[in-house]
Amino acid sequence: MLKHRPLMLKLLSALIVFGAWEIAGRVPVSYAFPTFIDSMAALARMTFDGSIFVAYAETLQPLVVGVLISAVFGIGLGLWIGLSKGFEWLFSPIFIVMQAAPLAALIPLLVMVYGIGLTSKVFVVCIMAMPVIVLNTASAVRNTPASLKEMATSFLAHDRDVLLKIILPAASPVIFSGLRLGVSAGFIGAILSELKITPTGVGDIITYSRSIADYPSMYAAIFSIILLAVIFLNLLEKLEDILFEGNNRGYAAD
Amino acid sequence: MNAFIARLAGVALATGMTLSAAQAETIRIALAEPPSDEMAAFFVALDRAKANGLDYEWTAFAEEELAIQAVLSGDMDIAFGTPYAAMQRSKAPVRIIFQLSKLVFFPVTTKEFTTLKDLDGQPIMLHSRGGGTDSIANVIEQKEGITFGERSYVPGSGNRVAAMLAGQGNATILDLSNRNKIIEEAGDRFNSLPMFEVKASDEALFANLDWIKENEEAVNILVKALHSTWSDMAKDPTIIRRETSPDGPIGQLPAEVLAEIDEFYTEAVAGGLYDPNGGGREAAKADMEWYVEAGQLEGDPATLNLEDFWYFAPLDAAMAQ
Repeated sequence: MLKHRPLMLKLLSALIVFGAWEIAGRVPVSYAFPTFIDSMAALARMTFDGSIFVAYAETLQPLVVGVLISAVFGIGLGLWIGLSKGFEWLFSPIFIVMQAAPLAALIPLLVMVYGIGLTSKVFVVCIMAMPVIVLNTASAVRNTPASLKEMATSFLAHDRDVLLKIILPAASPVIFSGLRLGVSAGFIGAILSELKITPTGVGDIITYSRSIADYPSMYAAIFSIILLAVIFLNLLEKLEDILFEGNNRGYAAD
Repeated sequence: MNAFIARLAGVALATGMTLSAAQAETIRIALAEPPSDEMAAFFVALDRAKANGLDYEWTAFAEEELAIQAVLSGDMDIAFGTPYAAMQRSKAPVRIIFQLSKLVFFPVTTKEFTTLKDLDGQPIMLHSRGGGTDSIANVIEQKEGITFGERSYVPGSGNRVAAMLAGQGNATILDLSNRNKIIEEAGDRFNSLPMFEVKASDEALFANLDWIKENEEAVNILVKALHSTWSDMAKDPTIIRRETSPDGPIGQLPAEVLAEIDEFYTEAVAGGLYDPNGGGREAAKADMEWYVEAGQLEGDPATLNLEDFWYFAPLDAAMAQ
């Protein structure tokens, strides 16, 4: 029983949320708010007729490209910034500004420069995802316990060994929490770009369903993207478990 | 301490009640976009209604769908749009009370096309999937027996004009003023194809039925003001510019925009954009046929009950006077 407790608690939490959704839809809080069951029926319909897969083929392009760029360059830049004071002064203000910028208001500017195609959408995903990855990685690297580094140097470790065997493992929990936050932000960015630039993929299902008042399909599309984000975050955590076994202290997203 | 909290709660409750009482007297109008020259006639009608004792406040939403949802959820009293799909699918008890403008749009193409039939298989630029121009494209396909090629969506007639001028498209559907603009600027490159007459509504004023019945007097004042403005405008379109209050949202627009109001309304009235009688049953019937054909409504237009979509009493009262 105790072994299954996290699972039971998670199921209970899902039950409460979906139950509240169902009740709110039945009251209804608004004519534009469908019940949970109606939304799931719409999701099943979109799954069986294949339209949701066609939509995701479109939405995943900017999302995957943007998240990959953000993860690779984000962690790289973060390490660099964390290891060198000079680079910190040079780069971290840029990312702090990016993080604070009201992105939705800046989208017209991106469209002006990069057009309405994939490039603009990838940019939106990167602007959402990258700052939190970079800043988390940098601060994690900077906060590696000095005693560990001193120990390594006193054992005559090379710089490379200090980085790979001391700094990275010590920083990995925070790097991964940055990645998790960054990837979630990337999902938001991908949908934001599809709603604000040109309606394609899941963004198109959301806008089109709303314009023909098919609210169950609209909420089904929103639900599906949340579901995908949760699955992806779980996979990310499994990856962390494999790479840095010692990090697992039990997360809520297990 | 408890007494203090009780008093605080009392004050909060009293303030809330005063506020809601004040709100009940002021009608809340949801605009689907920020005020522009195309709304000048509506604001003239609002000023006329205000002179007859109507108190109103307006809020501009970023999109028409948000304005519709605000009315559905009761945050706003009246909005613009053609929420037929919402009325039928979500059984929302909202009704249209006045047709503000008709779906007067024109297919504009490069010179290589001269009739609608030539557009068979050709890609076309439209406003949005499920929107007004999309429904026009659907009906053109059915009436002409053609199928358009790929539909790409570029929101805003002005943006589609820019895309056409930049050579990014060969065919699009534009509103009256943008059609005139592109033909005036580059009539040697583009054709405005002949289009059948459409009586269906592009923008209509709608509200929650219960709210309409509870606020019959305010609604009657508003519809009467709209009817009188639309009738006067049909006789002399320049009254819109003359009656626009310099302190109102339209009067505050840049001078260049204001200078074009006369031209816009003269062309629009000549182009049949406005029905001086507010649409009424004729428009409602045309809407049923149009929106069924366009795929927004389901059922047989002949058997759909007009009263499920329109509330005619305020317009009938205004017409009777």
